Amino acid sequence: MTHIRRYSFRVFSLSVLGMALLQGPPAWAQDGVVYPANGPEVSYAELDKLPDWRGIWQPTFGRVTGDQPRLKGRYREFYEAERAKVAADPSYEIPERGSNCLAPGMPAMMTMPYSLEFLFTPGKIVINQEAHMQVRRIFTDGRPFPEDPDPNFFGYSIGHWEGETLVVETIGTREGQRLGVLGITNGPNLKITERIYLDPNNPDLLHLDFSYEDPDVLEAPWHQNHTFRRDRTWDILEYICDENDRHPIGEDGQTRAVLNE
Amino acid sequence: MKNRALSAAVVLLLLLLSSLSAAVFAHHSFAMFDQSRKVSIKGVVTDVQWTNPHVWIEVDVPDADGENVRWAIEFTSRVHLTRRGFTRTTVNVGDEVTFVLSPYQDGRPGGRFWTVTLPTGEIIRDPGAQREYEQAQAAAQ
Repeated sequence: MTHIRRYSFRVFSLSVLGMALLQGPPAWAQDGVVYPANGPEVSYAELDKLPDWRGIWQPTFGRVTGDQPRLKGRYREFYEAERAKVAADPSYEIPERGSNCLAPGMPAMMTMPYSLEFLFTPGKIVINQEAHMQVRRIFTDGRPFPEDPDPNFFGYSIGHWEGETLVVETIGTREGQRLGVLGITNGPNLKITERIYLDPNNPDLLHLDFSYEDPDVLEAPWHQNHTFRRDRTWDILEYICDENDRHPIGEDGQTRAVLNE
Repeated sequence: MKNRALSAAVVLLLLLLSSLSAAVFAHHSFAMFDQSRKVSIKGVVTDVQWTNPHVWIEVDVPDADGENVRWAIEFTSRVHLTRRGFTRTTVNVGDEVTFVLSPYQDGRPGGRFWTVTLPTGEIIRDPGAQREYEQAQAAAQ
């Protein structure tokens, strides 16, 4: 059986290599198109037109506003059941991830109690989230969404500027990530729209207005508005979660610290 | 109808609370700590783990029979402590210190950092403890 598997693997590998040589980049090399963000022609002058978002940005949780989610079916049942468990037992932890070191991904990565950094480059914006050292890319070079993308932690983000507001649409996030609050997770068809802009009266405040459209989870779009405060004295610091993770999650979904008793 | 309105209000409150919870958690839930209680321990530091996702300090604390019990105190991340001016040499192996902490719910020897009194007498506080301290100071005046 092992022999057959090895043979099959070799045949498959040779087939892929052959296809690559005969037909150019194989399918897993994305779509093979050179989009403007990576193109040979580049002008950095376009960056001068963009607002100044340098420094790092800390969430101000007292300023979170928005409306309430209207949850559907099993998502509402799960949320209400888990909240009832917490109310009955404050030591109960709502199961969310298999490992506490697993990066939360989108949209939760944007609102963690750590710092965000925005890096502008022609045709592309990179956002660094300090916690778990998460990175997402927003393409602003006019490219389309990929067709039937593989779901991933950060999804696929396409953005454009409306004046000094960055408008971003994201699709393709993994099912089951935190959506808005602990106890609500996204379905397979989540679409996130973000509008990100400096406060007109205070350039050291940044607003991020979320709109979540998730036909499997929500009866209607759900809106959350977050605000961030700039710090120009800090830089992003290192955060390797596996450096010393003493909080494994048990089979019951509960975290228990490892002690050297 | 009244029940439905009440239910909506409860959901709203729960969402507000969970939003606040989401604000605090980056690595693990704090459900494992009994944050309604504070325990004070005095002992000698045996290990300082200046790491992410949490800084840990371990302390040998003598029990009623004089036997040392190893307590583990969890802090927030190295990232947050660094920005508060707490450095990897603020507490050192061999220091005799007093910690106040929120203990684990399951009764094991350890918990979440609240304050530490250093050998110099200086007290360093978690932001929550600092707010409480400042409020008490203001109320006393």
